[in-house]
Amino acid sequence: MADIGARIGRWVTVEMLIAFAVLVTAPFWIEAVGLYQYLGVEVLIWMIYALGFNLLLGYTGKPSFGHGAYFGIGAYAFGLAQHHVMTNIWLGIAFAILAAGVAGAMVATFISHRRGIYFALMTIAFGQVFWFTAVKWHAVTGGEDGLQNIPRPDVFSISLKENEALYYFALVFFCIVVIALWRLIHSPFGKVIKAIKQNEMRAGFIGYNVRLFKFLVFTISAGIAGLAGGLFAMAQGSAYPDVMSLQVSGLVVMMTLIGGGFVSFWGPVLGTIIFFVARDILGALTETWLLWYGLMFIVVVLFKPEGLAGIWQDLTRSRRSRKESVEASPLPSLRR
Amino acid sequence: MDFIIGLLPFIVNGLSLGLLFALIALGFMLIIGVMELINLAHGSLFALGAYLAMVVISPHVPWLGAFGSWYLGLPIVLRYVLAIVLAPALVAVVGMVLEVCLRPTYGKDPLYGLLLTFGAAMVLEESIRVVWGSAEQMLQVPPVLVGPFLFGGMIYSKYQFFASAFAIFIIVLVWLFLERTPYGAIIKAGAHDSEMVRALGINLTRLRLFVFGFGTALAAIAGIIMSPIWGLRPHVGVDAVIPAFLIITLGGVGSFWGAVVAGVLVGLAVGITAGFASEWSLLSMYLLLIAVVTIRARGLFGKKSILEA
Repeated sequence: MADIGARIGRWVTVEMLIAFAVLVTAPFWIEAVGLYQYLGVEVLIWMIYALGFNLLLGYTGKPSFGHGAYFGIGAYAFGLAQHHVMTNIWLGIAFAILAAGVAGAMVATFISHRRGIYFALMTIAFGQVFWFTAVKWHAVTGGEDGLQNIPRPDVFSISLKENEALYYFALVFFCIVVIALWRLIHSPFGKVIKAIKQNEMRAGFIGYNVRLFKFLVFTISAGIAGLAGGLFAMAQGSAYPDVMSLQVSGLVVMMTLIGGGFVSFWGPVLGTIIFFVARDILGALTETWLLWYGLMFIVVVLFKPEGLAGIWQDLTRSRRSRKESVEASPLPSLRR
Repeated sequence: MDFIIGLLPFIVNGLSLGLLFALIALGFMLIIGVMELINLAHGSLFALGAYLAMVVISPHVPWLGAFGSWYLGLPIVLRYVLAIVLAPALVAVVGMVLEVCLRPTYGKDPLYGLLLTFGAAMVLEESIRVVWGSAEQMLQVPPVLVGPFLFGGMIYSKYQFFASAFAIFIIVLVWLFLERTPYGAIIKAGAHDSEMVRALGINLTRLRLFVFGFGTALAAIAGIIMSPIWGLRPHVGVDAVIPAFLIITLGGVGSFWGAVVAGVLVGLAVGITAGFASEWSLLSMYLLLIAVVTIRARGLFGKKSILEA
């Protein structure tokens, strides 16, 4: 067991290698399947966002309906750092993560002792406060139009002006986030947050400081959202309040759930791909694609809350273990 | 003293806004109480009510033919009253369909119900966009209710007073229904302990269906009254559902007067801040919520409930 293979396996899994391989080659085939380079950048950014979000929703069982706020704060922080401090990519990214993390930590101090629906409601309230501030505080955020002309600074004198270059830059962060989250989830810390999801009160009785763990998870998740937001500001060349609204915050919840964030690490990644492919394919067919996407979401919640990853697991598992998975439902009721 | 008088119009504005907020929150609260469900689609049903009322008041449907032109010849007051009765009834049917869809989520984590209604909100809003378009629409009101009037040297809007009076009327009606009828007693008992109510031999399935219909009908009424003030666009649902859940959290889950008091409080906070910084007026309600809930975890009048589990 203690051989080198197992030690590497703690950090990188086969699934990760497959995912990385697919994503590394994506710019070479994405146009061949009728999509475009920029979509790849956007998908990667939202994957990072959704993976960070799933730490909160899927692993700790705490829904946040205002997570767009931290994504937006990251984007604004990146833009403001470029405009007012200096044009440097690392500074911008650091600012984005830090600002969103600090905002998340601030909110977490208010809500980390809340449970159940109250937690969800408070995340909406705080999300709205940030969104509202972004819309109204013209002097800093530029109001509804947002910050314009955010540059894409060079990385070690490599230009990111091309979408392919930005794609690989984002991919590096994606890999870091995937590996870091995987380690975090399979560490003692990860065990505790899963215990909190199963039964918060019992986790507290065992002696874990539930409040502290929820605080940390929320802050980390917000920080990752900030990273994604910073990259998004670069991709779009602007930062605007729309991404902070309740609807767009809800999209990340939907992506995570449809993909199967409750049962699989890769759920959010799948969900993001489905969302963007649905947006581009359904969107080309009909203007009302959100209607169909919403209906799809309802069907998933009703019939297969485990999402796509859950369906995949059902198909690949043997009959015996399928029975077990039914008995251990993905999100056991939190009501005692 | 001058300061107070200068503030008076804002206080009046705030009060009337607060009463309307309370009206939105009431239906929301009934559903939370009995179903233990946060209905995020409440705002979209609010918008749907207003759109349906618009259709009832001035239908632009060519195939109605002679009946259509006869109908449009009727006095607007009559059509308006018809809309206030008919549109909520139609929305109640939509609400009941939603309740039937929600049934598989009962007994599971409350998160699933929340997510489902979130999806429903999206579907409803998009459907409104498909049928009526994204542009801002107008809900016609009887001319009697439009226009300003003077009182004590200040100009007030007639419609605002009508809306407040109507909101009070509905709030009192709901209160009487809950307190003075056997059905109200069942609903209150259901909110307290639905398992026990079932054990007493009351059909819980039907009770939930009925409460959901009733709650969504209230949302529709609020939408009809509110839309001449707020304007009518598909997006308006979000503007309505957020104050509603805010008021419920502030007032405390499951408390009738909590919802009314919190509604008025939020309205006053928004109205008075509008006097000083109109741009930021809506922010005050979030800050009020955060301030109150930080001190009193269950809101002003809240009791321990299943939603905290």
